[in-house]
Amino acid sequence: MPQMSLIGALNIGKTAMAVTQAAIQTTGNNIANVGNPDYTRQVTSISPNKGQQVQPGIIVGTGINLDAVQRQIDEALEGRIRGSISDDSAASTTEQWLGRVESVFNELTDQDLSTQLSTFFNSWSNLANKPQDIGLRQVVIQNGSSLAQSVQDMYGQLGSLQDDVDKRMEGLTTNANSIAQQIADLNGEIVKAEGGTPGSANSLRDQRDTLLKQLSDLVDIKTVTEPNGLLNVYAGSEPIILGTDNRGIGFRTESVNGKLEASVTIVKTDSEMKVTSGQLGALDQVRDSIGGVIDNLNSLANNLIFELNKLHSSGQGLEGLSTATTSNLVDDVTVPLNNPDANLDFAATTGSFVVHVTNKITGLTSSTLVQVDLDGKNGNDTTLQSLQTNLDGIADISASLSGGRMTLSADSTDVEFSFSQDSSGVLAALGINSFFTGSTAKDIAVSNVIQDDPALLSAAKNGEHGDNQTATAIAGLESASIQSLHGASLKQTYESMVNTVAISSASAKTHAEAASSIRETLEAQREALSGVSLDEEAVNLMRQQRAFQGAARLISAVDEMMKTLLSM
Amino acid sequence: MAIIPVNLARVSNQLRMSVANSTIAKTQQRLLEVQNELSTGKKLNLPSDNPGDAAIAQQLHKLLETRDAYSTNLKAAGNQLSEVDSTLGSLSDLLQQAQTIASSNVGSDVTDSARQGAASIVDSLYRQLLDIGNHQFDGMYLFAGDRSTDAPFAETNGGVQFVGSSNLLKNSYGENVVLPFMVDGEELFGALSSRVEGTADLSPTLTTSTRLSDLRGATGDGVRLGSMLIGNGTTSAVVDLSQADSIGDVITAINNAGVGSITASISPSGLGLQLSGGAGDDISINEVGGGTSATDLGILQSVGAGAGLPVTGSSVQARVTLLTPLANLKNGAGIDTTNGMTITNGLVTKTIDLSGAVTVQDMLNTINGSGAAVLAQINASGTGINIYNPTQGTNMTIAENGGTTANDLGVRSFGPFSPLSELNLGNGVRTVTGNDIRITDSGGVSFDVDLSGASTIQDVLNAINSAAGAASAGVTAGFVTTGNGISLTDTAGGGGTLALTATNFSNAAADLGLTQPASGRVITGTDVDPVEPNGIFSHLAALRNALRSGDQQAITDAADGLKGDYDRVVRVRGETGARVQEIESRQQRLEDQNLATKSLLSSLEDTDFAEAVARFQTLQTALQASFQTSAKILDMSLLDFLG
Repeated sequence: MPQMSLIGALNIGKTAMAVTQAAIQTTGNNIANVGNPDYTRQVTSISPNKGQQVQPGIIVGTGINLDAVQRQIDEALEGRIRGSISDDSAASTTEQWLGRVESVFNELTDQDLSTQLSTFFNSWSNLANKPQDIGLRQVVIQNGSSLAQSVQDMYGQLGSLQDDVDKRMEGLTTNANSIAQQIADLNGEIVKAEGGTPGSANSLRDQRDTLLKQLSDLVDIKTVTEPNGLLNVYAGSEPIILGTDNRGIGFRTESVNGKLEASVTIVKTDSEMKVTSGQLGALDQVRDSIGGVIDNLNSLANNLIFELNKLHSSGQGLEGLSTATTSNLVDDVTVPLNNPDANLDFAATTGSFVVHVTNKITGLTSSTLVQVDLDGKNGNDTTLQSLQTNLDGIADISASLSGGRMTLSADSTDVEFSFSQDSSGVLAALGINSFFTGSTAKDIAVSNVIQDDPALLSAAKNGEHGDNQTATAIAGLESASIQSLHGASLKQTYESMVNTVAISSASAKTHAEAASSIRETLEAQREALSGVSLDEEAVNLMRQQRAFQGAARLISAVDEMMKTLLSM
Repeated sequence: MAIIPVNLARVSNQLRMSVANSTIAKTQQRLLEVQNELSTGKKLNLPSDNPGDAAIAQQLHKLLETRDAYSTNLKAAGNQLSEVDSTLGSLSDLLQQAQTIASSNVGSDVTDSARQGAASIVDSLYRQLLDIGNHQFDGMYLFAGDRSTDAPFAETNGGVQFVGSSNLLKNSYGENVVLPFMVDGEELFGALSSRVEGTADLSPTLTTSTRLSDLRGATGDGVRLGSMLIGNGTTSAVVDLSQADSIGDVITAINNAGVGSITASISPSGLGLQLSGGAGDDISINEVGGGTSATDLGILQSVGAGAGLPVTGSSVQARVTLLTPLANLKNGAGIDTTNGMTITNGLVTKTIDLSGAVTVQDMLNTINGSGAAVLAQINASGTGINIYNPTQGTNMTIAENGGTTANDLGVRSFGPFSPLSELNLGNGVRTVTGNDIRITDSGGVSFDVDLSGASTIQDVLNAINSAAGAASAGVTAGFVTTGNGISLTDTAGGGGTLALTATNFSNAAADLGLTQPASGRVITGTDVDPVEPNGIFSHLAALRNALRSGDQQAITDAADGLKGDYDRVVRVRGETGARVQEIESRQQRLEDQNLATKSLLSSLEDTDFAEAVARFQTLQTALQASFQTSAKILDMSLLDFLG
């Protein structure tokens, strides 16, 4: 029969003091970490020691036992918080960067591109009032140049914005990789520290949770915890961290169809990582959005150049041409002009144009119809070479080819030539008698020929120097429906481009507010469970203090009892 | 603001702090927005502030910018037309002076020296009017149309030649409002004669290179390209013509469709298309999706034509263009290029040799470059050519040179369709009630002809020929083969002499140029239809010359002419005034519209200050409350109460 003894009671006091001290230490640790947002409140888990049977049916308690010091954490909630962090940072990143894209447009001011488009087309309309006025012609050229310059600037700004995105993505992937490495390392340390008691390495786990949040800020991740305390991290279904192995997060740029594509990769497999949220996910999408805007701007510039040149090249200036050289290079002069090998940026079609050769002395004009066959049938399609042969056959002018360009020139100074009624678009496609040169937003510019001699600006359509029908036609181009823009006009295309950016930017703003609100709600829930409340800790402390005092009193009581016993 | 669930079991210190932080941060952010709105006066600073409103604002901006152009154009047109108006004022003053001089110098009591003096005044008026015709405004010749870079009136051959154009420049003054901002100098000064507009429809035949844009189409609406459905009774195919540019392209497209053995070609008449197939092909051609391609090309055949039968389309009415070959004119018959024609203008007579001409342009170049100072053009509808005498004060005649060239072109100045009323420089043919002429053939048969009902030369010829037929006389009336005039040829073969006399004191014979003696068996009439522009300069020149010579009748005639000119100028001035007013009212309307647009724009873009200030104050109160509660709550702790 076991003995009931004073030693037993002393032991109870000892366990109570030890456990209470541990509890006070835990409370102290909680209080110390009250300002640490990543800290998870810990509580001591205690239970009575197994009782001692003093008589059959009578069991006396033997004190208290410290079971564990536990983090107050809801792993599922943590997962949702990480998701919300990814979304929140993605939304605010998108908002920030789209704001920068929007500011490139500078819309709703008097310096925006839409105002410049209007100014440019308005100057054509004004030229129609007095087509022979060199001053008004200069205004058209000047406004054309500044429009072209603005388009180029906008292109440049969007391009450097894209570069900035790339640099930022590169920097962030480096960060993400180093965080992933730390998580992998911590995985190892946690397993080691816990030594078969999962969940005991509280501070290491707190550290790992913090790092996971930092990683979520960059990419959207999923986590799977293994029973031994290891935590695997996935992006989509692709693992980033498996146990203690960091597979690596990298950044790659490659040229696809002449465009620089950027992607986040898993280093180990060199495969593209599926990133849909977090800062990197947002940047990836922003990069695509900027790419889309650049494509739209290019298409706008391309159509502006081609449609305006189609009208301009069929028009006539105050004087005829004595020489004209195509501004667009043809790579292969022996293939049809619409063959990809010819490598023209504009599509000429089957049609015809008229060449007028005027003798300046007699004032008489002879006209020749030049047919352009590009229907791909009968094997007689027009090549630059056949066009040159045809044009060279016209009396009093000659045509020659050199390095993929064709030059037309009058045979004598008494002769000048002009073009009209081009239904094939071939003049504009080759860049003869054109207003704009270039084919994209990058290289749009007003033709040097026109800049040097404003008299060559085409305002006329019927061959009379004082005519203004080309000028009025060009003035109406801004709002004319264009087939290759799916029936939209230049004006509408630009407006919809700006609106698309505005709407994405505005929705990013709304999205960012919503995402941060969700994050705050979830974090509030986390705080409710895991956050430290000083008031609560103060009460705990009081309770523990009293418990300690009680235990100490017990020991001193037992001590006195022992003294009494010994002095007997 | 964030929605923090308030039913939380515990409130940690961290939570209290972050709630305080985020509330304050958000309120401050909103305060910044209001501050920005209040300081810029705009609530739309970036399109993303409100994409819906921004899109409308952007369109309104665009509208204002477009109206800017209209406004600029209206101002320019207003200035120009006001200048025209005042120029027309001086023009009518000068014409009034000329009329006064004319009327005060008619009568026997005016001395010769007074008339000579008046003549020199008229001469000076002539100069002044020339200056007005060549008036420049802001570097632009007002009355030169689309040739406004050069003076429209030039002195040549003792007359004034109009070298301007009557194509008037137009511009836009609103959505779909395209108006000319010039006055037609040709019409105003009566600069060009209207009587030589070609009367022949030159109707050219097609070639494979004929451009579809040069066709008036089977229905006269042009050729609107789309697709058509061609079938042969068993199979069918849609032929897409949207890329076709010429007749050759259409033919190629149809041939490449390969429906049975159907092939297309230019029809035997040369004026349209023809589709033919093999013996079994029952050709049908239908429109696709409401298109009009088949109709415009004149080959619509909604049910099969019958096995083995070709479908011959109607004429697609090709226009005459500069590039049309002369041989294709007149339904492919061509014109007489061997003999050419003779053009006389004032003292200059030129023979137009068309033997080297291949295209219409060659012909026009030959005529315009002949030195006869005439102007040949394709008419506006592309059916024929016109030859103008642009020189006032000279007479033009266009006559045959032994062939049929002028007639083929329909430009013979004395032709079958010449109205009698315009003969003799507009004095017409004076007929009487009853018979006008009596013709006696060589066999002694005579007959009378009543010309009262005749209105053209052809009517005269018909009247003579039918009267001769009725009287069984051997006389045929026709046109002379070289030069211009009516010829009467005796076919009776009698011993007498062909003779023509006036009856009832009618002037008709003289006015038709027929009071000529017979030469052999033929009476050759003279050309009584020279073409002279009935204009201000010719009338003034006539007045001056009449004053110098003292010809009373001529003075009165010139005065009548000037009266007509004056009336025309006054009418044009009235029209111009009305246009100036229209422009002013458009400008006014534009400004009213701009005002409305701007106020709409302002409601979208500009800050509603009352609302913004109210918002500012609410946010201020909210921020203050946040500060106070945060300070109090964060400061509270149980620890403060523990001993």
